[in-house]
Amino acid sequence: MAHYLVSRLAMAAIMALLSTLVIFLLANTVPGDPVLSQLGDLAASNKEFVAEWRAKWGLDLPLWQRYLIFLERLAHGDLGISIASQRPVLRDIADFAPATIELASIAFLLSIAIGVPLGVLAAVRRDSWIDHVARLISLLGVSAPTFWLAFIVLALFYGGLQIAPGTGRIDTIALPPPSTTGLYLIDSALAGDWQLFRDALAHLILPSTVLAAATLGLITRTTRASMLDSLQQDFVRVARAKGLKERRIVVGHVLPNALIPVVTLGGLAYANLLTGAVMTETIFSWPGLGRYTFRSAVALDFPAIMGITLVVAVTYLFINLLVDISYALLDPRVVR
Amino acid sequence: MTSQWSRCLSRRQLLQLLGCGGAMAGLGLPEQVFAQARKTTLVLGIDISDTITLDPARLAQYTSPMTVSAAYDSLVTMKPGAYIDVAPSLATKWTRTPDGKGWRFSLRDGVKFSTGNVMTVEDVKWSFDRVINLGDQPSQYIAHVDRVEIVDKSTIDIILKQPAEPLLSIIAAPEFVVLERKVAEAQGASAAKDAKTADKAAAWINGNSCGTGAYRIVAWERNQQIQLVRNEHYWGGKPPFERIVIRHISDGAAQTLAVRRGDIDAAFNLIPEQIASLKSEPNVRLAPLTSLDFVYMALTQEPEFNKALAVKEARQAIGYAIDYDGIKNAMLGGAALRPAHYLPIGVNGSTETIARQIGFRQDLDKAKELLAKAGFANGFEFEIIYGAAAVQGVTYQDLALKIQSDLGRIGIKANLRPLDQVNLRTEYTTGKAKGGVLTFWNPPAVENQLWASAVVNRVAKRVHWTPPEDVVKLVSQAATEPDQTKQAELWVEWQKHVIDVAHHFVLFQPVYQIAVRNTIKDFPLTAAGWMLDLHGVNPA
Repeated sequence: MAHYLVSRLAMAAIMALLSTLVIFLLANTVPGDPVLSQLGDLAASNKEFVAEWRAKWGLDLPLWQRYLIFLERLAHGDLGISIASQRPVLRDIADFAPATIELASIAFLLSIAIGVPLGVLAAVRRDSWIDHVARLISLLGVSAPTFWLAFIVLALFYGGLQIAPGTGRIDTIALPPPSTTGLYLIDSALAGDWQLFRDALAHLILPSTVLAAATLGLITRTTRASMLDSLQQDFVRVARAKGLKERRIVVGHVLPNALIPVVTLGGLAYANLLTGAVMTETIFSWPGLGRYTFRSAVALDFPAIMGITLVVAVTYLFINLLVDISYALLDPRVVR
Repeated sequence: MTSQWSRCLSRRQLLQLLGCGGAMAGLGLPEQVFAQARKTTLVLGIDISDTITLDPARLAQYTSPMTVSAAYDSLVTMKPGAYIDVAPSLATKWTRTPDGKGWRFSLRDGVKFSTGNVMTVEDVKWSFDRVINLGDQPSQYIAHVDRVEIVDKSTIDIILKQPAEPLLSIIAAPEFVVLERKVAEAQGASAAKDAKTADKAAAWINGNSCGTGAYRIVAWERNQQIQLVRNEHYWGGKPPFERIVIRHISDGAAQTLAVRRGDIDAAFNLIPEQIASLKSEPNVRLAPLTSLDFVYMALTQEPEFNKALAVKEARQAIGYAIDYDGIKNAMLGGAALRPAHYLPIGVNGSTETIARQIGFRQDLDKAKELLAKAGFANGFEFEIIYGAAAVQGVTYQDLALKIQSDLGRIGIKANLRPLDQVNLRTEYTTGKAKGGVLTFWNPPAVENQLWASAVVNRVAKRVHWTPPEDVVKLVSQAATEPDQTKQAELWVEWQKHVIDVAHHFVLFQPVYQIAVRNTIKDFPLTAAGWMLDLHGVNPA
């Protein structure tokens, strides 16, 4: 197991570095000068000013040298200064990541908590009404465009029925909790401010539901298919022949076997939720990484783009690693 | 099997399973918990994603001046709607210095910073020195300032390198405000010659303030909100709100819902459809903000790029083919103005009457005539580039399509090429745009010279035009003319010249519609550069 872990970790580090190189080269094929788009009209026409700003971000250096500087900084735990926000990229990421982590985690929990039981039920009661409902939910979840769904739930539950709060992480006049983790649920709980905790939780419902929709559909379908597959296996027949209760068979024997593909999918889905919430974050004015990523890409903000790439790569690799480890735990044959 | 399963899991259990999402909603909302605070807090819903600094000496964005102008004051200011003369603020009087080389300001007595300390003439000098020595973007607008000199404890001189160049209207902008030196220095600020490297106050100034303004900045959570609290020592009387929250809401539809529900008191980024939907709302009114911004098309005259566009008459034909009224009425619901050229309506020498008299208007016969005169009776092709953005809810894409169809009527074929903002800006500012460019401009201060010199200097280069000496001279002549009537005439004269060469067609000057709840009485919107005089907002 230890050997397995070490080799996986080493591989992950190499992959993360390679991904930054690929993104660095890709981003630099885009023509256009990020400095010009950041400067006001007068400054953008002042050659000395532009040259000074370009030098500030090393944009006047050859490509290979810039990448080496990036690596050197990285070795010191520094991701450089963002061109668009003019702050350390690491600081930006640290500021914006908690909002995304909180949103994505709730969305992920929602999609697992609903998707897995729904998939199990749909498989066990195949072709019953519950199966049809599950199919409809997954179809809607997967096919409804996020921006559309976001507008609809906002207009309906916030604007129309007025039972949900609006955009943002907390009420427009609430003050954020003292920052410990940056996760408002945890920070408000730590501060003992339960009113704020409820407010933050209420603000999470709509965006996390919207964000969870597509994942929920995928998880439901995968669980159902995998359950159906496992239910056909010989060991189920043996278990039934031994007179085990159906509930015990489903929960104790079929489900663990059926969960392996769901774990893979779930891991990737979580990574995807963490890194791909641009639309939801935009419409819900959620101050997270998705929005930051989008703005950095649009502004051709090289240091931020590189920093985010690294974060995304590490997130995926880390979650994949967790998935692999859980494989090993779920199915001992993997390590062998 | 199915029946066995259904026995082990009742319908109720099933609903419980599915209901875990709903259970969260069951927690309930802290509905009226904030009701009390809402009465003493002003909440503005606005897209503030462009805010990258709240440091006056580093300002260069569109929305941040509103916050800065609430927390700090400048020596002189501009009242909403009156953009030709400046009004007193921290200075009560100003005259030319005896030698005529600068301006002398008498400071208001008894002005206190938010700390309660009295503002001194040293604070004023230090603040100007910091802008100059930091050398960031705002310093370029006062590049003609030679030095700032203290005369006595309530008088200060700003001495100019070119004494006739305009100053007052420029220093009314929130870039040129007064900071409390002691506090700022304690946080690492520097106004010394090496301020560029020595100043370490940016991080602190981004989340705090040390000014004389009606409110004090206490927090800026990026892409989330800016929080201000009342300055108890404000020289202009007790500000009415305990707190101001400038809440980032990027989406217009979400702003519409929020202003309707009363979660925000005003919504700033609405598109025509959303504005129309609010017209029947009893608790919300629409307040017009006649801006000094404009959207225009620039045309190159570089023959290597386009032979036809190198001919003045061909460019003029384009100017006479565009349906400006259609853009204003059909696309913007009439909520716009159109100046003759680069001087927006509202500044000296630019009114709607003048614009009608000297500006382009749609006249297809004249356009065809000009085309024939240019030697392109059968039309020609050129390219229009534009970014993926929108002004007042109208996308550049829609504007480009409209222009394309207008020009098609006189046989000119416009090829549209959408670009990302970075490339658009790079192509345009480096003079590589090969045809037309659709873009937007607003200067940091209300000073005719800033608009006019932009045309004859940098924008001229971008369209490969070398302006004749007399046109360049006219700019400084108008800018330095002390008599306002004569000055207006000179500006009209100048506009006629630049209209004739047909490099820029101003398409519209937006009149933004801000939705304001009726719980707010006074809401003094301004086009002077900071959108709203926050100190003048009062509850009903």
